[in-house]
Amino acid sequence: MEKRGITRREFVKAGLLTAAAASLGAGVFKPTGLWAATPTIKGPIKLGYQAIMSGALAGYGEFHKMGVQMAVDELNADKGIAGAKVEVEFRDSTLKADEAIKNARYFVDSWGADFLGGIDSSGQALALAPVMAELDRILMVTHAATEKLTEQQVFKNGIKQVFRICTPTYQDGNAAAFVAKDLPAKTWATISPKYEYGYTCWNMFKETLGKLKKDASFTAESWAPFGTTDFRPHINTIMDAAPDGLYSTEWAGELITLVKQANQAGLFQKIKHVMFPVGAAMDALEGLGQEMPENIWISGRYFFLYPADNKNRAWVAAFKSRWNHFPAYVSETGYSTLFALKKAIEATGSKDTAKVIQALEGMEIDTPAGKRVFRKEDHQAMYDVPWGLTKTDAAYPFKVMGKQVMVRAKECFNRPPFEGAGTKPPF
Amino acid sequence: MLQSIVHVCLAGLSIGMFIWLVASGLTLIFGVLKVLNFAHGTFYMLGAYLCYWILGRMGENFWLGLIIGPLVVCAVGFVIERFFLRHVYHLALPYQLLLTFAFVLIFDDAVKILWGAGSLGSPSVPGLSGSISILGRNFPTYSLFIIAVGPFVAIAMWAFLEKTWWGKIIRASSSDRDMAAALGARVPALFTAVFVIGTWLGALGGGLAVPYVGLLTPGMGEAIIIDAFVVAVIGGLGSLKGAFFGALIIGLLSSFGTRFIPTFDMFLTFILMAAVLLWRPQGFFGEAK
Repeated sequence: MEKRGITRREFVKAGLLTAAAASLGAGVFKPTGLWAATPTIKGPIKLGYQAIMSGALAGYGEFHKMGVQMAVDELNADKGIAGAKVEVEFRDSTLKADEAIKNARYFVDSWGADFLGGIDSSGQALALAPVMAELDRILMVTHAATEKLTEQQVFKNGIKQVFRICTPTYQDGNAAAFVAKDLPAKTWATISPKYEYGYTCWNMFKETLGKLKKDASFTAESWAPFGTTDFRPHINTIMDAAPDGLYSTEWAGELITLVKQANQAGLFQKIKHVMFPVGAAMDALEGLGQEMPENIWISGRYFFLYPADNKNRAWVAAFKSRWNHFPAYVSETGYSTLFALKKAIEATGSKDTAKVIQALEGMEIDTPAGKRVFRKEDHQAMYDVPWGLTKTDAAYPFKVMGKQVMVRAKECFNRPPFEGAGTKPPF
Repeated sequence: MLQSIVHVCLAGLSIGMFIWLVASGLTLIFGVLKVLNFAHGTFYMLGAYLCYWILGRMGENFWLGLIIGPLVVCAVGFVIERFFLRHVYHLALPYQLLLTFAFVLIFDDAVKILWGAGSLGSPSVPGLSGSISILGRNFPTYSLFIIAVGPFVAIAMWAFLEKTWWGKIIRASSSDRDMAAALGARVPALFTAVFVIGTWLGALGGGLAVPYVGLLTPGMGEAIIIDAFVVAVIGGLGSLKGAFFGALIIGLLSSFGTRFIPTFDMFLTFILMAAVLLWRPQGFFGEAK
């Protein structure tokens, strides 16, 4: 039988220690660890969370929800956050900027949210930032990747209310270039999304690889609009250019379609070095199954087999047993958002926006994805995600990362002040 | 260069034929019933999901799924026409759009409940998953099959409408409902039949999309319906011949655009549509009113 509550002996021990600590005075001795008295905050702590829950990308919303719900249940089964119950409400962001703003206003003005989280599209994140300053609530971005959010809105424009817990485009563009420099490929081409995210990543990849490998050249670009279901004309463009390497930031369903159609066209036999910065996302891996070729370079914002430590293993197992899915990266970022907020709120003893911002800046936290540090200047979470080569593993019905290469966040993330010498890799 | 042009052409043809399969049902329904069926994309989606589902149950038999799936969707189409749409024929166009759009929302959510909100990767079809070498570059066999299916459906529809007794009645009812009814045609039943045939075409397009796109998502019908509408407008609303050639033009335009003028490829289709609306508002094959 499981014992509820604490035994009398523990109670006495705790009481003695707390009394001892108190007698020494708060300024002299701060109780830490197990015996620290957690500050108690009145009322529920409310998180308004929005993600895409309709249309072709609705699956992402589901995975956001699974991670967030798991964290909320875990917290409430324990002591909540600083003794307060955690409440969460989900809304469909529809990927449109005006809808994201409407949701944010509803959350804060009508529902009484203390914190906001979520956001999948870069366009939404950029539009929402000034609104967060006006509403004066913290927004933890869990998916949108544009570096302009943290470099410009947070660092340059001083919107301190915005934080990002997922890796930004640096992982997709810069880190990819570090991997590409060691490959025997000189000419590179791309099939990428015909919007901000696709352009930004390719430019970053070109710029960084150009610096790391002087003889690298970039021979063809084919931009696929959102919702492309037929990549054959794009594949033709690339095969005409016949580059040594292909770099593509296609993601979700479009990546699945691209890979299937590239298989049929025999692209992977002709082009030996292929990089998919978002290829390690669970939806792409599971959707492609064995049709994902071997030896393709993939990465993501989190990969469920990394880090191979107990914390991550236990979390993945708990996630799998609860939802019967492996966690997608948005599940991890959604889940960790709540624990980051918990740590910051409990450190400062208040849910006051300004105080929690201060606590989050420079804060270090252990999460399933490993150790994260929120960089003080731009509020970007610094943590490492590997790049790896796809390979078959009998334990999974899809391809996983075999050989891994780690490009550390501190080596490949742009650095404040983001302009001038020494702000872009290589450092 | 020749290799590239041939392959761009083939890709364009397969894109076009695909749009045609979806646009044909839409055009047929508009031509006869004068209803702009927004839910046509939904039939496409349902066709795809059912085909996928049967494919998983019946021992990987794609062809069985392709036959049964669209037939099940036909039953849905029958219910929609018989019990809902029929009551708004006499109302203004916005009511028909609203009603059909309601079905889009209902079935999108139904699909999410039944199959989940995430995208499903579909298995490849045995026998058609390979590719053949054309001028030294691989082209998928399945795309060639689609290129063949398109004209086949077009000829079958033409023969049915122009050469059969049923086709004559349908054409008569479409040009003058009241006169056809006065002469003894059972117009309501006929309308139901035409709607069901249109539904079948949309669902067939969805079923054929399973191995072609390789992916099923709850919103998949909305993307294709826009292309189908564009094609129907360019060809002339209600004209099957127009939809066929409109689809060919759009397919080739998007394929050549992507390859040779990538900066403007997204606009080409809409520039063409705008031009048609300006100078030939009835479309290439539409009748001037």
